[in-house]
Amino acid sequence: MEVRYRILRPVAMEVAFSIRGLTVLLGESGAGKTTVLRALAGLSPGEGAPFGNLRPEARPVGYLPQQHALFPHMTALANVAFPISGPKTERLSRARALLERLGVANLADRYPAQLSGGQRQRVALARALARGPELLLLDEPTSALDAVSKAQVVDELAGFVRGLSVPALVASHDPDLARIADWVVVLEGRRVVQEGTPLAVFSEPATLATARLVGFKNLYPARVLSTEPCLIETPFGCMRAGCGAGLSPGSRVVLAVRSEEVILVREDRSRDRIENPVPARIRRLLPEGIAVRLLLEAAAPIEVVLPRHVADRLPLAEGRAVTVAFKRRYMHLLPVPG
Amino acid sequence: MIAALIEAAPTFWLSLKLATLVSLILLAIGLPLGWLSAKRRFCCQALLEGVLFLPLVLPPTVLGFYLLLLLGPEGPIKRLFGRTLAFHFEGLVVAGVIFSLPFALAAFREAFAALPDDLVETARTLGAGPVKVWRAVVLPLVWPGVLSGLLLAFAHTLGEFGVVLMVGGAIPGETRVVSIYLYDLVEALDFGRAHVVAGALLLFSLGLLLLVRRLEARWKSATGS
Repeated sequence: MEVRYRILRPVAMEVAFSIRGLTVLLGESGAGKTTVLRALAGLSPGEGAPFGNLRPEARPVGYLPQQHALFPHMTALANVAFPISGPKTERLSRARALLERLGVANLADRYPAQLSGGQRQRVALARALARGPELLLLDEPTSALDAVSKAQVVDELAGFVRGLSVPALVASHDPDLARIADWVVVLEGRRVVQEGTPLAVFSEPATLATARLVGFKNLYPARVLSTEPCLIETPFGCMRAGCGAGLSPGSRVVLAVRSEEVILVREDRSRDRIENPVPARIRRLLPEGIAVRLLLEAAAPIEVVLPRHVADRLPLAEGRAVTVAFKRRYMHLLPVPG
Repeated sequence: MIAALIEAAPTFWLSLKLATLVSLILLAIGLPLGWLSAKRRFCCQALLEGVLFLPLVLPPTVLGFYLLLLLGPEGPIKRLFGRTLAFHFEGLVVAGVIFSLPFALAAFREAFAALPDDLVETARTLGAGPVKVWRAVVLPLVWPGVLSGLLLAFAHTLGEFGVVLMVGGAIPGETRVVSIYLYDLVEALDFGRAHVVAGALLLFSLGLLLLVRRLEARWKSATGS
């Protein structure tokens, strides 16, 4: 589904992007995510496709605002039956079937105030589905959840939305959610700056802000020295990189490397075969679940995340000198924000 | 005591009729005004609201004086519509609507302000037109607040004295409401009858207030605030 919208209020925006299956609209707060969702639902004035010129009640969308907006004076069942038309018994049996599909049939007679955040979300999702939407719009579905239920809900949500074969646009600032999406659209300063598969966006962010958003911790100012071969000047000295189109000698860029993609060089390796070696010292060693996060001191601070099975084989200790390598394929040169 | 109550019955009846009429009119004009005040922003809103809430702070005699000029035999209403409302029941109704409006409006506005916007918006995205949104979502959530505002306005109209005296005088059967009757009794040093009338008003007002409190508690639990 192709989206093309010109939005007037509350902020002026013009966006064009694709929705493919479970699509995450990724951006910091204030980037305009909610505005885009509301415009698609017809709640903010805007024109474009799809659904332009239709009143909100005529748009085939299932809209879930951040707080789910369940009607507090109705039971879960009555909430889900709200959008269904027809004789009462039929409405209630269809609503019950939807609650069952989301695994919350046992909560049918509860009021929203008696439900947990995750339960409310399922009821709200059942209600949004009740009108047979062509597009689901979910605003920050993980923001009201704690970490434990978040992981669970993200998983379920993804599985459920994929099972429905209804495309969904999910506004979120949460990279964990974007990671499991089918398609990611990055919104920055009220503009779409990048869209693509999660792999493309996470490995090659188009802008510095996107890089930060998707978890790049190692970001350094750099300057292109030559493009053939591609050499850049960094805080660690001259490095070989991969210069994309549009860069010329003298271009200022930001060198971005994911913490997971900094290579820690084994001591027995011969130095001359290593790409872009950087001498460093371990300042902090932070166990993090099944990984270890290293904070290194070098010409500029470097963060490295190693899986435990790798860390276990290395003699790691705070204060110890190590060598890390920046491999060309994991180095990304981003434009300096104007 | 029974005799005194029977004697006072016409004035009680007039007061109840006045308060009921005023409350119904306030419901009709107060609901849209309350909605606008709580949910919309428009030009000169503070000034307009200030004017509507003025009767709360004005001495009743000042308000009554201006209303008398407005509704009296030389007033603009007479010139426009050819009818003098002052010293008639209709004049009391107009005055009652104006001086009880702030009580109703404040409660309505609060009821609407406590209604989250996303409930109304989400109801629309679920295919509900304006009528269904109001019938199924807005009114069920705001009615306790609305009713408590109406009861307050009702009680206030029932007890108003200064404005009523200025605009209506004390014409039996036309403008002599129970609060004026009580004043006349005391002026005539008829304390026996005054006791009965005042006591009846006291109990009635207390009953209304208790009802308002109960409604507010119920409303708060319904909106979760």
